[in-house]
Amino acid sequence: MSAGPATTAPALNMGGRRLPPWVATTALLLPAYGWLLIAIFLPLGAMFLFSFMTATPIGNKEIGYTIDQYKIFFTQPYMWQVASWTFQIAFATTLICAITGFLAALALARSGLGRSQWIFLILILLPFWTNGLVRIFSWTMVIREGGFLDAVVQFILPEAASVGFLYSRPGIVLGLVHGYLPYMVLTCYIAISTIDDAIVEAAESLGARWWTILGRILIPMAAPGLIAGSVLIFVPVVGAFMEPRILGGPQGVTLGTVIEDSFTQGFNWPQGAALSFMLLAVVLAIFATFSGVLRRNAEL
Amino acid sequence: MKAFGRVYLCLLIFFLYLPIGVMIAMGFNASPYYQLPFEFSTRWWHELWQNAELLEAGKNSVIVAIIVTLIATPIGTAAAVALHRREFPGRNFLRVMLLPPIAIPWLITGTAMLVMFYWSGIGRGFHAMLIGHVALAIPYVVLVVSTGLQTIRQDLEEAAMSLGATPLFAFFRVTLPLLTPSIIGAALFAFAVSLDQFVISYFLATPGYTTLPVKIYSAIRKGFTPDINIISTVLLLASMALVLIYFIFSKFGAKDVRR
Amino acid sequence: MKLSRRAMVQLMGGTVLATTLLGPRRALAATKITVLNWQGYGTDEKWALEAFTAATGIEVVHDYFNSEAEMITKLATNPGAYDVVLINSARIAQAAGQGLIQPVDFAKIPNAAGLAPKLKDHDNMQYEGETFGCAWVWGMNGLGVRDGKTDPDSYAALADPAWAGKVALFDDAVTAVGLGALATGQDMNDPKDLEAVKGFLQSVRPNLHNLWTSEDQWNKAFAANEFDLSVAWSGGVVRSFRNGGLPVHFVVPKEGAIGWLDGLAVPTTAPDVDAAHAFINYMIDPDFYFRWATEVGAPASANVDAVAKLPEDDLMKQVHKAEYIDTMSIMSALPDARRDTFNALWQEMKAYYAAK
Repeated sequence: MSAGPATTAPALNMGGRRLPPWVATTALLLPAYGWLLIAIFLPLGAMFLFSFMTATPIGNKEIGYTIDQYKIFFTQPYMWQVASWTFQIAFATTLICAITGFLAALALARSGLGRSQWIFLILILLPFWTNGLVRIFSWTMVIREGGFLDAVVQFILPEAASVGFLYSRPGIVLGLVHGYLPYMVLTCYIAISTIDDAIVEAAESLGARWWTILGRILIPMAAPGLIAGSVLIFVPVVGAFMEPRILGGPQGVTLGTVIEDSFTQGFNWPQGAALSFMLLAVVLAIFATFSGVLRRNAEL
Repeated sequence: MKAFGRVYLCLLIFFLYLPIGVMIAMGFNASPYYQLPFEFSTRWWHELWQNAELLEAGKNSVIVAIIVTLIATPIGTAAAVALHRREFPGRNFLRVMLLPPIAIPWLITGTAMLVMFYWSGIGRGFHAMLIGHVALAIPYVVLVVSTGLQTIRQDLEEAAMSLGATPLFAFFRVTLPLLTPSIIGAALFAFAVSLDQFVISYFLATPGYTTLPVKIYSAIRKGFTPDINIISTVLLLASMALVLIYFIFSKFGAKDVRR
Repeated sequence: MKLSRRAMVQLMGGTVLATTLLGPRRALAATKITVLNWQGYGTDEKWALEAFTAATGIEVVHDYFNSEAEMITKLATNPGAYDVVLINSARIAQAAGQGLIQPVDFAKIPNAAGLAPKLKDHDNMQYEGETFGCAWVWGMNGLGVRDGKTDPDSYAALADPAWAGKVALFDDAVTAVGLGALATGQDMNDPKDLEAVKGFLQSVRPNLHNLWTSEDQWNKAFAANEFDLSVAWSGGVVRSFRNGGLPVHFVVPKEGAIGWLDGLAVPTTAPDVDAAHAFINYMIDPDFYFRWATEVGAPASANVDAVAKLPEDDLMKQVHKAEYIDTMSIMSALPDARRDTFNALWQEMKAYYAAK
């Protein structure tokens, strides 16, 4: 997340009385962060506490405190591999979404669609309103061996071998891209639609090639959208468990499924919570690094 | 170049609707297990109209999602404005704090809410479910609206103020109209987040009260039948019709494009 | 755009009021009970609830869980919300030990006279000498085999190259470890040689096509011919064959199946204990069971009279032979440490499968 330019806030004129600026700032922030405090931060704070416990704090067991759960990567060495699969899946998903989503936003804003670009945008966002699980099960029909994809391929090339890729990591990435792409399209569209046609035309008339326009004008100006879209995709995808389970089959072991298992099968909240917070820490570290790099580039 | 863009969009839309097409088709397939070869049947339509509980669940989901959208959108927009237009200490910290609700899997957040709401006396019920849904939707709204705010030139607002407009007036007459697309996008996401949210509803709603995702997710253990596909189809087509009618008959967006 | 402070206060007051009004509504009628169960697992059959309400005047609403851990969590964090809870007998001691459920009063359950004594008084149902759960149904995790294939006689078939790429396992730690224990000749509830269990589970990898987590996923994958041999639920196989016409039958290999026993219990904080017992009584009623088993497809009833009511050629009855009640091992309560070990082992196996 990059910081937008912000000026010193002028005092708000409310009801004829001048209020100091912090009053308005607080008034704007309080509803959202107050709500998050009660509904998210306090419960997650409790979860953070649970992650140091020796057992799930339900019932009348003796509860002790330990940091053992945070050592899982050393006590269970296979977790390194699980983490590596998870981040590969998340990076691949985010990257594919970034490219296809950016191009879609570009096509929406610059194909001379006029008002109908709104209809296209809505059409892109609407699949989002159907149930995620139903969508995933539908994908299994398409990409399994002998599924629709195979049927189409074998209709064209009757001798072709199966191209089904259900129960593989590419299958998981496909399901995730489908599920999260609309975020990227929308955020990039918001950013790109404000680019003044005159800038691009000026560049063209000065003889700039398309890659110069893309690299020097469009991408930097779309950067806030690309960043916001990446946050909205990468962050939840790292913890996703439905898509890996159903589309990944035996290959679908990710940090998300391990966390889910420790809550559902294991009834081991401390382990699930500890893993979740380690995940969060890594995600925050990645964004701290990336947003620094992106911000520096955006200023060029 | 323009033709290329349109072809690309059509391909993208084809990709996005591919599983939706399968979903609709399987609603007309006789097999309860999506089994092929395809055998046309209206069996699941009849099952759906018999299934009052499923219809009720569908209605509940839409109502909850609308309420959540109406609450989360203004609250989140206000926070986004503060985060991007005002200078104060701890701003970056507050921005970072938007990530945990998205990063921590819903199952964990839901369990944590259940425990915390029990301890703090908020309890369970419609109000608890709303609190949870809105909280999960807020970060999405803030992030989407922030994108809009970063790309809108702030000097327009300053120009208005230098011409004597009050800051509030300048915001409502200059920035807000430019921000409308972002706010609408944010609202669509808030709606989607609530519409697909099952963990929170199913931990926090009163027993007996059910929403569509809850129905679906708790049905998979023993099996769900394609009447689920039918109701999803009906909901999708209804929302598609509503949104398209709205855009065709309203002047919305015209100003923005003619710019 | 002016908003006076008074209007603001009024607005906020209104919100608070609305929130209070929308707050949790406690059931006022004494004749309404809440049942906590898996969705679609017998207690929520529409026709059954209508018949029960007509006979007793007691209305039934449901709340569901998706895992046993969730069931315990919901019980613990919703005192006073539930009257009846479905509980796997392996979890009875845990729930009773935490004070979540109360002893069953069999005097209020006349149909309990028909319960198989072996199940009614099973160790799993007891905690400190008292019975905390009413045995309801039992079933087995064994092998589901596609019709037309040779029936395997041992779990060793899961690793037999003859089934290469055509095997599915149930993604459940206790079942997976139990399977490995049975296949290597050990006590499934307390295998001493975990390396052997691991070795068996690892040997399945070349054959493994999928891991399933729900009956729904199983049905859809089996219907698409993804696998021929699978660890499966006895009741699930009967349902898939009867309701969906899938070409599958259930096989108990020579090592025996992994048996389980589900009970119905009354939470300590149940608002209406009498109505709860009346509902449990109805759930083990032979007439209810007859319809559930023949029209929907159910596991085996713990009530001998109920099973006797089914015709001899009923598929459910053929799959769940009465002698299994005496011979099969039933999943029993696991100490926390052992359960954690099982989970860790299964997680490691899954990572091993995924590394293929």
